[in-house]
Amino acid sequence: MNCRVCGARAEGEFCEMHAESCENLQRNYEAWKKSMGLSWADYLREIQKNIYAGIWVKEVAQCLLSSNPPKEGNSPVEASNI
Amino acid sequence: MLILCEKPDAAMRISRALDEKGKPQKKRSDAVPYYEAYRNGKRLLVVSALGHLYTVAPKIISREVFPVFDFAWVPKYEAERDAKGIKDWIDAISRLSKDAQHYVLATDYDVEGATIGYTIIKYACGDKENETKRMKFSTLTTEELEESYSGLLDHIEFPTVEAGICRHFLDAMYGINLSRAMTVAAKHSSGRYTTISTGRVQGPTLSFLATREKEINSFVPIPYWTIKAKAEIKGSIYDIEYERETIDTRSEADAVVEACREKKGKVTDIEVKQFHQNPPVPFDLGALQTEAYSLFKYTPRRTGDMAERLYLDALISYPRTSSQKLPPSINYEAILKALSREPKYQRLAAELFKLGKLAPNEGKRDDPAHPAIYPTGNLPERALGGPEGKLWDLIVKRFMATFGEPAVKQSVKVTISVDGHRFYLRGRQVLKEGWMVFYKPYVQVDEVLLPLLEKGEEVEIKEVTQLDEFTKPPPRYNPSSLLKKMEDEGIGTKATRADTIETLYNRGYISEERITVSDLGFDVTNILNKYCPEVVSVSFTRELEEKMERIQDGNEKKENVLESAVNRLRPVLEELKQHEETVGQELSEALRKARMQELVVGNCPVCGTGKLTIIHSRRTGKRFVGCTNFFKGTCKASSPLPQKGTVKPTRKNCSVCGWPTIQFKMQGARLWILCVNPSCPSKEKKNK
Repeated sequence: MNCRVCGARAEGEFCEMHAESCENLQRNYEAWKKSMGLSWADYLREIQKNIYAGIWVKEVAQCLLSSNPPKEGNSPVEASNI
Repeated sequence: MLILCEKPDAAMRISRALDEKGKPQKKRSDAVPYYEAYRNGKRLLVVSALGHLYTVAPKIISREVFPVFDFAWVPKYEAERDAKGIKDWIDAISRLSKDAQHYVLATDYDVEGATIGYTIIKYACGDKENETKRMKFSTLTTEELEESYSGLLDHIEFPTVEAGICRHFLDAMYGINLSRAMTVAAKHSSGRYTTISTGRVQGPTLSFLATREKEINSFVPIPYWTIKAKAEIKGSIYDIEYERETIDTRSEADAVVEACREKKGKVTDIEVKQFHQNPPVPFDLGALQTEAYSLFKYTPRRTGDMAERLYLDALISYPRTSSQKLPPSINYEAILKALSREPKYQRLAAELFKLGKLAPNEGKRDDPAHPAIYPTGNLPERALGGPEGKLWDLIVKRFMATFGEPAVKQSVKVTISVDGHRFYLRGRQVLKEGWMVFYKPYVQVDEVLLPLLEKGEEVEIKEVTQLDEFTKPPPRYNPSSLLKKMEDEGIGTKATRADTIETLYNRGYISEERITVSDLGFDVTNILNKYCPEVVSVSFTRELEEKMERIQDGNEKKENVLESAVNRLRPVLEELKQHEETVGQELSEALRKARMQELVVGNCPVCGTGKLTIIHSRRTGKRFVGCTNFFKGTCKASSPLPQKGTVKPTRKNCSVCGWPTIQFKMQGARLWILCVNPSCPSKEKKNK
């Protein structure tokens, strides 16, 4: 299986580096939701624009948004399993 | 008598110091210079090496064979292509040694110096190591060299030599075998030969960097808010801090701003603290490299090289030291008196003498071979260049500052209550400069003076705002903080750390000042982590360093350490051989990406997500710059390139339009920096 982002060999849908970034994205969504009240899709868009977000995180966010745009309010788990 | 030094400048200084008239005769044996000096009726031949003249090499030369565990010392010119000139030096030393009846080693008094000297005395002079005496010194001043010569040590420091030999064998064994394993795997997979190197210290160092890079690349920032406010006090405006450094939600931050806006505050508490700040401790090499980087942005390697130069000019003591101590035997008073001949140090030296007894504020670390870095008191015989002059001044002033009195500082914290919310107004002031007088301009004084305030006094809150903030990823290492990390983790030595970092840059594993790990660097680390985690583990490297220290102290045998290293390396290499095909594929892919990366000019300003890359058209054979997103059909940004000459990415953006720039050079012509944006306003100006 190849990573959806970089095409590298992967055991799941992402390679080790992008999988870790995806986990970080999911883990930190709650903090964003609580402090800014964002939907999952808006959160991903904000992450893409944020200057402190890591490059792999942005790549995963773009991949999740573009490959099958999550509907507003989608939970991170649903969205990442698309 | 043959006196062997480490570098030509040291030979010149030593011969000048030991010659009765101070005028040794410079002679040549073929092209190699040496000095003839006379002292107490004895003829002294002072000759230098050029650093290491011998190196450890595997007996099996073919670069495709591994594992190899049979190593030996060989003349450097036999093992390294660019060391042909070394043969003349070895031959000259051999010739000069034939007439000698006594041998003296006067190389640097540390592991490398002892090893350099030992191998030359053993192999070029014909096994004279047991009859060789030793000069021990920490500065190249005439007085210290004379003293060292009159108190020659009976023999060279054999345990130190053993530790040095062990280090060279271990480095060669690990470096050559692991590098060959990876290079061979990549070659078998791709058919192209590219050297992929790693080593005993290189591996863990790259691993620190890769770990940090991963943390940065997979970092998700979390929003938080801060409150900033300004208060008007006796006609002046001051910044005040909110009691909570961070607020988790926007609504909470809004509530604080709303509650405090256009309100009056009342001073509820004033806390004044005075404290003493001791002088800094003397420089060891690591601290000098860190300070020079922070003040002047000199890389650790550059600082090390310049300090070496200052040492060879007899301006400072031996810089490769871990000591933070200045023993009284160096004669503080004489050094300060000598330095006061320089007008800019005259007043400072006089101030120190006024303090009475001179006692430096020493640090904990000690080095049995050398004291901390200090100025010798000699003044430059040649005009020092800008950077060298700055470094010398820094060393002189740090030396002086260590004798200064503690500085006395005062901090004030005023608590202002606004409608139940607390804000703090902070002031700081230097009450007595103490040592800081001697360390200017290298010490920053950042004072905030507050007006006289009393409890119960009212202040007007002029502005309250909330700032949107985000948590930040850990900072990237720079050459100085990486060196500090290596030092803290106990890997490498003070003499080799800066070189290890330089090697990582040269191999293309890392780039830029705020260090970024390349894909190749990542892949090499991943492969080592996967198939031989021990090689990149800090604990293993530190364990070997500790064993080598024990050899130096005479508590461990070199042979035991080498044997255990072979036993641990053998299965690692077998594992790599077993997975050669996979390792080769992964490395080939990494090399291919690295070659692609070399063609990347910069981020695409049109689509914002692609990379502008130098592309060669298969159809026309012409080169141009295009966006990587072109192949996805999402960006058509492209730009023509000159078809002749060489083009290279500069990794810098155009100051006019922000697009990436390239470096363009035609043979025999000057270098051009060109913006790749075909519509860059700078080009329009030129066209007009």
